[in-house]
Amino acid sequence: MTAASAETARGLAWRLWALVPLVGLALAVAVVVSVGDRVVELVGGTAPPADEFDVRRVELRPGEVRVLVRNPQRDDLTIATVTVDDAIVPYTLDGPATLGRLRSSTIVVPYDWVPGDPLAVGVTSSTGIQTTHEIAAAVQTPEPGARGVLGYGLIGLLVGVVPVALGLLWLPSLRRASPAWIAAFMALTAGLLTFLGVEALFEALALQAGLPPAFGGPGLVLLGVAASALGMTFLAARLSRGRVGLSGLALALLVAIGIGVHNLGEGLAIGTSFATGEIQLGAFLVIGFMVHNVTEGLGIAAPATRARVRLWQLAGLALVAGAPAILGTWIGGYGSSDLLTPVFFALAAGAALQVVVEVARHVARIAPGGLRSGWAVGGYLAGIAAMWATGLLVG
Amino acid sequence: MPKLTRRRLLCATAPLAAAPLGVTLAFGREAEAAGHDHAGHGGTATRSTAAAGHAAMIGDGAPAVGGPNDLDALLHPPPALPHRPGRVREYTLVARDEELEIAPGVFFPAWTYNGTVPGPVIRATEDDVLRVRFANAGAHPHTIHFHGIHPTNMDGVFEIVGPGEDFTYEFPARPAGFHVYHCHSTPLKKHIHKGLYGAFIIDPKVPRAPARELVMVMNGYDTDGDGENNFYTVNGRTFYYARYPIRVRRGELVRVYLANLTEFDLINSFHLHADFFRYQPTGTGEHWEYTDTVMQCQGQRGVLEVRFAHAGTFMFHAHQSEFTELGWMGYFQVEEP
Repeated sequence: MTAASAETARGLAWRLWALVPLVGLALAVAVVVSVGDRVVELVGGTAPPADEFDVRRVELRPGEVRVLVRNPQRDDLTIATVTVDDAIVPYTLDGPATLGRLRSSTIVVPYDWVPGDPLAVGVTSSTGIQTTHEIAAAVQTPEPGARGVLGYGLIGLLVGVVPVALGLLWLPSLRRASPAWIAAFMALTAGLLTFLGVEALFEALALQAGLPPAFGGPGLVLLGVAASALGMTFLAARLSRGRVGLSGLALALLVAIGIGVHNLGEGLAIGTSFATGEIQLGAFLVIGFMVHNVTEGLGIAAPATRARVRLWQLAGLALVAGAPAILGTWIGGYGSSDLLTPVFFALAAGAALQVVVEVARHVARIAPGGLRSGWAVGGYLAGIAAMWATGLLVG
Repeated sequence: MPKLTRRRLLCATAPLAAAPLGVTLAFGREAEAAGHDHAGHGGTATRSTAAAGHAAMIGDGAPAVGGPNDLDALLHPPPALPHRPGRVREYTLVARDEELEIAPGVFFPAWTYNGTVPGPVIRATEDDVLRVRFANAGAHPHTIHFHGIHPTNMDGVFEIVGPGEDFTYEFPARPAGFHVYHCHSTPLKKHIHKGLYGAFIIDPKVPRAPARELVMVMNGYDTDGDGENNFYTVNGRTFYYARYPIRVRRGELVRVYLANLTEFDLINSFHLHADFFRYQPTGTGEHWEYTDTVMQCQGQRGVLEVRFAHAGTFMFHAHQSEFTELGWMGYFQVEEP
């Protein structure tokens, strides 16, 4: 045996050694499984399961209440009795009565609910634990249909595509601005993206708090943020084709994608809240979102000022940034998106914050005086302030 | 998005499903299996499912546990015996921890006398000597506290019977009337609401008129431990007499021994539909009230008598609507003699 081949064999052996911890873990798991809970019982008795349901969605149809429940715990959970406003009611199940971990069923209750009145739906487990879900005011859940799909589509269009497109119309004016002003508008873009990122992050964290801990809690949000930030970095590298820093249309596209992911989350939230009667989606709120989102168009336009941009490219940017809102309202309006919404807000946070970095690099290059100049700082603060001020309309 | 597609599908089939729903309208798993023919119980094909309401709450449509004769021992008291002073009446009560199915699929970890909630009906005639052997097979110390007149060392307050121990209560049965018994260990609220209570009849020297006699003990269950009842029943199971109406004959004397052992709620009540009854509080004295609704606080009880003027299906329930809709509702099925 030559010295070289002996070296190779040793290297292979040490690589195989990497399997040893895994095999050891498998053996240790097998031991714990075989002794069962006896190890834990040495310490004391374990508490019984909470046996509470996770009420994912309550839909009110004419003469009918539909309750989507999930088992959030490890142990099985059985639906035994259903009450509406403290009265036992007959029901049918679309799904199993006994739910395994994270499994769901829909409870269908024939019920003459009263529009505008509060409604409390109770689901009692076989162990007698009652989970109550309260609706502040009963409103009929929009039913899937041509009218509804069109309606949600129009709402998504109004709050997503239209304001972004309008904002993009600032492009000709921006082209005539001095380089310092353009830098300021780019910084403004960074400011509003920071605002969106932070807003999305908090939204994601708040929404995941309502999910069963089995879905991973804040870790789920972190995963979403990291995945989208790194995905956007990869995309930025591809778009820049090896050059240092992004500019022009590529940067505008990146900004549009970041905003688009955010608008998908926003659409989901709007659709869900409206379908479950949690918000009054009046004309005022639609106007609020429009004003709020028109600055997004400005943000996409700013990087494109020095580039040759065709009309179809502008339209494409508006669709990338705005159209996800339409998709979001559809999914949120007709489906259960309790898991989807925080995930998309987490993705939005990561994307927005990554794009902030890209935009900041660009500003550092073009702003007279760099990132510490008044143009950059003022523009950035103005971006945050604009989002905050217009956000008051939707709060 | 398979979910969205499935929802659409469901929605599209909803109008088709509406008519058969009147038939398959079910209370959970059990009724799904057994719910194929209750059109005969008053549900008509044209009735909207959501408006079916009480019409669905009869026969197989009522969410009650068990078979038609399960609660006979609690509903029908042992026969009254003629007055004979000094006769010994012996009973054995065993406290046992039992998981009871109180509503379809809902199990309550109860503390029971002889395995049921309420416990067995104890009956004696005035001046009998009552000898109740009490064995505690449960996991907690218990007693039996009888209402009535007796020496205080037989009161079930100071003689705490630990797990595995026993004690014999012996005292003359008096006064005549309708009473209750229950555990008096502390914490009292827990020992009572877990199910340690029952009906206790002392017949008067001059016997009451022959009648179809029934015992109804009103109670509640706090199944999730929040200090509020989740279910209400008579004789321990929700909607039991809605599923299995009590059969009596028109014109015959029906006597109901009614007691309230509901914990947590201040009062409970009994309301009879479409007829009136006379009511004797505590089953003592000469005062009878003529009414269709009586109210009892916890531990209160009385005797009510009715001769149904008509045949038909007569609802009875607590006149607290909430209790009614959480299980305390039933029917008399009055048949022609």
